Amino acid sequence: MQMRTVFQGALCAALLAATGVACAITTEPYWQSPGSKDKEAYVPELMPPGVQVVNTENEGPVFATADGKTLYMWPLSTLRNGQAGDRPKSGKATCDGTIYKETTGYMSPYPPGFLLPELENRKSCEALWPPFLAPADPKPVGKWSVVKRTNGDSQWAYDDHPVYMSSKDHKKGDVLGGSVSLIGGEMGAVRYPVGPTADIPSDLGLAVFRTGRMLVNHKGFSVYSYDKDTPTKSNCNDACLQTWAPLLAPLMAKPLGEWGVIERTPGIQQWTYRGKPLYTNMTDTEHRRVIGMDIPDWHNVYTQRALAPPSDWTVQDADLGQVLADSKGKTIYYYSCNDDAEDQQSCDSPDAPQVYRLAICGNFDPKVCNETFPYVQAKPGEKADSALWSVISIDPNTGKLTQAGQAGALQVWAYRERPVYTYGGDTRPGSVDGDNFGEFNGGRNGFRAFWLRDDYRANAHGRSPGDRR
Amino acid sequence: MNRSVPRPCRGIGLLLSVGVSLGAYGIATAADAPKANEGGTRLQNGTIAYVLTHKFWAVYETPKKEECPTGMNDGPREQFRTLYGDGKGPKKYTVVEAQLKREGDLWHPSTTPEPPQLKFKEAQGKISYGMNLDGKIGPNDFESPDGVKGVDNQLYRAIGCIGNYRNMGTIYHFEDLFMNSYNDARIVIELTHVKSLENSDDVTVNIYRGSDRMMTDSTGEGYLPGGTQHVDLRWGKQFVSHTKGKIVAGVLTTDPIDRAELPWGSTFGTHAYHVFRGLRLQLKLTDTTGKGMLAGYVDTDAFIHHLNTSWSTHHHSYGQLSSQSLYREMSRLADGYPDARTGKNTAVSSAVNVEFVQVYLVKPDEKNPLTASSGGGR
Repeated sequence: MQMRTVFQGALCAALLAATGVACAITTEPYWQSPGSKDKEAYVPELMPPGVQVVNTENEGPVFATADGKTLYMWPLSTLRNGQAGDRPKSGKATCDGTIYKETTGYMSPYPPGFLLPELENRKSCEALWPPFLAPADPKPVGKWSVVKRTNGDSQWAYDDHPVYMSSKDHKKGDVLGGSVSLIGGEMGAVRYPVGPTADIPSDLGLAVFRTGRMLVNHKGFSVYSYDKDTPTKSNCNDACLQTWAPLLAPLMAKPLGEWGVIERTPGIQQWTYRGKPLYTNMTDTEHRRVIGMDIPDWHNVYTQRALAPPSDWTVQDADLGQVLADSKGKTIYYYSCNDDAEDQQSCDSPDAPQVYRLAICGNFDPKVCNETFPYVQAKPGEKADSALWSVISIDPNTGKLTQAGQAGALQVWAYRERPVYTYGGDTRPGSVDGDNFGEFNGGRNGFRAFWLRDDYRANAHGRSPGDRR
Repeated sequence: MNRSVPRPCRGIGLLLSVGVSLGAYGIATAADAPKANEGGTRLQNGTIAYVLTHKFWAVYETPKKEECPTGMNDGPREQFRTLYGDGKGPKKYTVVEAQLKREGDLWHPSTTPEPPQLKFKEAQGKISYGMNLDGKIGPNDFESPDGVKGVDNQLYRAIGCIGNYRNMGTIYHFEDLFMNSYNDARIVIELTHVKSLENSDDVTVNIYRGSDRMMTDSTGEGYLPGGTQHVDLRWGKQFVSHTKGKIVAGVLTTDPIDRAELPWGSTFGTHAYHVFRGLRLQLKLTDTTGKGMLAGYVDTDAFIHHLNTSWSTHHHSYGQLSSQSLYREMSRLADGYPDARTGKNTAVSSAVNVEFVQVYLVKPDEKNPLTASSGGGR
């Protein structure tokens, strides 16, 4: 029942304040249960030999190599003082074997020509992002074409963008190199996975939230379903239609896969998905809102959602909506970082130089860092349903990975193998004062709150084409 | 409407009695005030509400910038060049020594002296907009352009020679623009127990966050009275404040609110707020508009936190605003709310020029506890 979600935040906050005990997370409305079989269907397309489609937890279907390595693209991005990434249709791959030593000055206001940190350990772009090489006699198919690398190798490109693997991915289904759901603000030129077209009607779209892939109509407004409907009949009539608009299907629409149509009145067809007639909410004034789910029996519709984070964590009401919080109600923050070199290397994981993070969270003092943005420590044996959440062993003084059991090591929660944090300045459950803490509002080198719901802005989902930054 | 050129304030006698300078808005005398209750219907059952349409930190500017005799301050770009060069010099600096050092100093501001090459320029003179917040006339106080003495606005000393805060500077322009663009930055005030908008001796003033776009004219830039704002009591609880006030000759003067948080978000999804101590309002009211000043002591740490999380070093650079230097200056000028343990003042007197238009409020009730609006903003 969605009504539960309406009051859950307030009730849990009151409980937490009165007793210090927090409500544990429930799967609804943000996550799907481990037993759920919901997986986003895709439109099969021609692929080169050795390419497969793999369903992943929050990115949905992505292209992968024969051994399961997710494929990514690095589209050209216009930055403050220049451009970085692969220019589409250029026939070239920018990410090569060069080891860059200096900054480019692409991110105002700092000028170019400053030496990058830990140069002795710095790797080339292609070492971190191995190209997905084509055979000597490649045969372009469908959206797949070939570009030439500077060393003469042929590299596969999808939709005119060279594709790469990520050195961070270990196994089939990993998407640790980048996520559409986390793109927002001024992060630099970022990489994200490439996948086939979702099998949804052409007049619908997907908004990639932190926790799921939500259906929207052709204008970007959220799509909803109603518990009182049946697979063959809408029970939203009369007064109900003053709030909810049936999602109309063209007369020529036919059932296909998980999609169907019902006839509301002669000549008027309504889309159904997984046996649920679909609607938009006429009171939604902005794209990608979830406000309609506050009305009992109504739900946003996802092709698939992520599984739940650690079970004793909580959802807290904050100033824009709801955030993910730890068991004490403290908001969870993730750290994002991309450097200012030509190849825009990420610096947000423990194997990257830690000086970026240490500068922001503690002016290079690890002790201050661990007070300003302390790691979220895991209890022994703790696990999450979701594979996106894991426990890693960190040396809190260096921020680097270490062996479990090593003196001083902390067992901390990580999202996509990047540690998560709380903020020392948050004073009450739902405080989000650590949000946007860092360069370019926390997007370039800093901390952002883990928003689950944002009724005002766009902090709970990733950027889509055409979005403002 | 002319927000940048202060007009003379008439009715000085009245304003002297309440210790306020509203010269920037040309507050009129009682004789000039419209007869709000004659034919006006917006005041209903003793209640009327307004939404904030414009806000600008009150900076007294003269045409020849006499308040900044040594010029404007340097910003991040200039300070960086002073300290580390332009990256082309013989000495090769590292990112850690230069960029990250500056960012570390920004996110962990200090009152230790700046490097000697960096000089801060504070606004000079004895004239400023603002209110007499402490009821005293002290040696550091200003006199308003209209002759009101005892004006407390030490923030003006700090920001008066920073381009970002001056007329059409980046923060001046964009904080106002983004307030209008994003609904989470919507500030509404509700007045109840109002006998008339001319005189009313015991008014209750409620401050809320609204959640709707504002109604505009056909240009999209002029704000019209009569719109609707849904009060956000679901996500916006922290922005609720209450106080009392009086309306004398059409001017509302509120009692100070000990601590108020006002939503003050910017772009890029930012949603920070300012913390005011001793917040008060002084507004010339009609049944369609409210114009005047919002004043109080801004919490120094919260002000800088807002500045850093709402903007970036890049944006600070547009208007030569060094966050690190400003923190030092604000800490030095802090004149209110001493820390109980150290005795050091934690807040700086300040003033904001504000304009409101009348709106109708829709409040959630027990039957409909949700935010009644669909939120919004771009």
